[in-house]
Amino acid sequence: MKCGNGIEARQVDELFINIDPIQAGGRLTADAMKAVIAYGDGYSVCDNCRKPNRLDYISKPPIAEFHKEVAKWLNMDAVRTVPGARRGFQAVAQTYVNKGDPVLLTSLSHYTEFLAIEEAGGVAREIAANENNLVTPEAAAEKIEAVKKEFGRAPVLAFIDHVDYQYGNLHDVAGIAKVAHQYDIPLVYNGAYTVGILPVDGKALGVDFVVGSGHKSMAAPAPSGILAATAEREKEVFRTTTIVGDVTNRKFGIKEPEMMGCTLMGATLIGMMASFPHVKERTKHFDRELANHGIVMEALLSIERTRCLSEYPRKHTMTRVDTTASFDKVAESHKKRGYYLQSALEEKGITGVIPGATKVWKFNTYGTTRKQAEHLAASFVAIARENGIAVGD
Amino acid sequence: MTFQAIYTLTDLRILLRETAPSHEFDTNQKIQVQRLLENLERQVGSLRQEMLK
Repeated sequence: MKCGNGIEARQVDELFINIDPIQAGGRLTADAMKAVIAYGDGYSVCDNCRKPNRLDYISKPPIAEFHKEVAKWLNMDAVRTVPGARRGFQAVAQTYVNKGDPVLLTSLSHYTEFLAIEEAGGVAREIAANENNLVTPEAAAEKIEAVKKEFGRAPVLAFIDHVDYQYGNLHDVAGIAKVAHQYDIPLVYNGAYTVGILPVDGKALGVDFVVGSGHKSMAAPAPSGILAATAEREKEVFRTTTIVGDVTNRKFGIKEPEMMGCTLMGATLIGMMASFPHVKERTKHFDRELANHGIVMEALLSIERTRCLSEYPRKHTMTRVDTTASFDKVAESHKKRGYYLQSALEEKGITGVIPGATKVWKFNTYGTTRKQAEHLAASFVAIARENGIAVGD
Repeated sequence: MTFQAIYTLTDLRILLRETAPSHEFDTNQKIQVQRLLENLERQVGSLRQEMLK
């Protein structure tokens, strides 16, 4: 069925259990789908935009209220919506980083943090993760000292991913923030895999900024996200424009340069808003998500010589596994080669594993029901058995 | 009126997602599907009346 010229209607999540590592937390709620239908037109949320003419002041639909609610929920002082977490990183980097400034991130940081630093002219310096693929406060302190020796000054900014995209490991952000603040380094909390998934308390973590991804973890359309700041940092990153046109003498009110004025003006924002009550609620039940993930992990690890490369027991539902000595052995002689696993999974109604991947791959069970988790578990075991791989108890 | 039928279909769509890939409904889900389909028929009926009068 087509929904436009050459555009096939997408039914991936209706037909399959989708365990794509980056898609799980961004699936829309029913309310978001309904809101998007009603607000799909371009500037749809701007019908009632009144002075001072800025997105976060609009009260109908309740955008202003949404901003306040998100700030309260994250225990931060101010929030803006942004077109994806990366635009949050960019806004902060543009505010604090000048040419040649050292900026701290980690060996597991997302590439968009690097790009934000690059665009601002900064120099990236990574805290190395340890042998368990965890970034520690001790390693952060060591790296800051090393940067001080190299540059003669401390980094001007630090980006730390609470849950990293490579392993889905949970890092000690609170401990790292404490270290960073001893050197007066503002810290950006990358919550792309946590904000909207599990409880996040910015003040308890001691961070200056919280960045979240709407399309990755807040059941919202892409590109969407949030940038939250403390009262101290709010004045800096959300400063208002001062520019004046020399011919027209025009000024631009309270528009914010780092936000390029208004940010999300239609379906993206309204989708995020409509999902928000459900997202708030679901973060309180992350234990259920972990329990479902545990069912699948237990099954995978019962397949002989399959290893979990992420920290274990799991603290997040996105996990990296190594099946080089199990599923990949079959690929060596299977007529479909490495594609047999994806093919076998699809026959069982499962999608989201990278086609051809049989060595190291990631998956995310977030949002699956218990029944779906049991189906996933049984399917992995069945595929192993069907292909002669031993399965333990 | 514009949105009611589409929203009912959306609720049905969510049920398909929650029960993928088998789409086997438990007792509560069957009741829900039944109710949604009845609503949909009523809503389509209203649309027919409104738009073709």
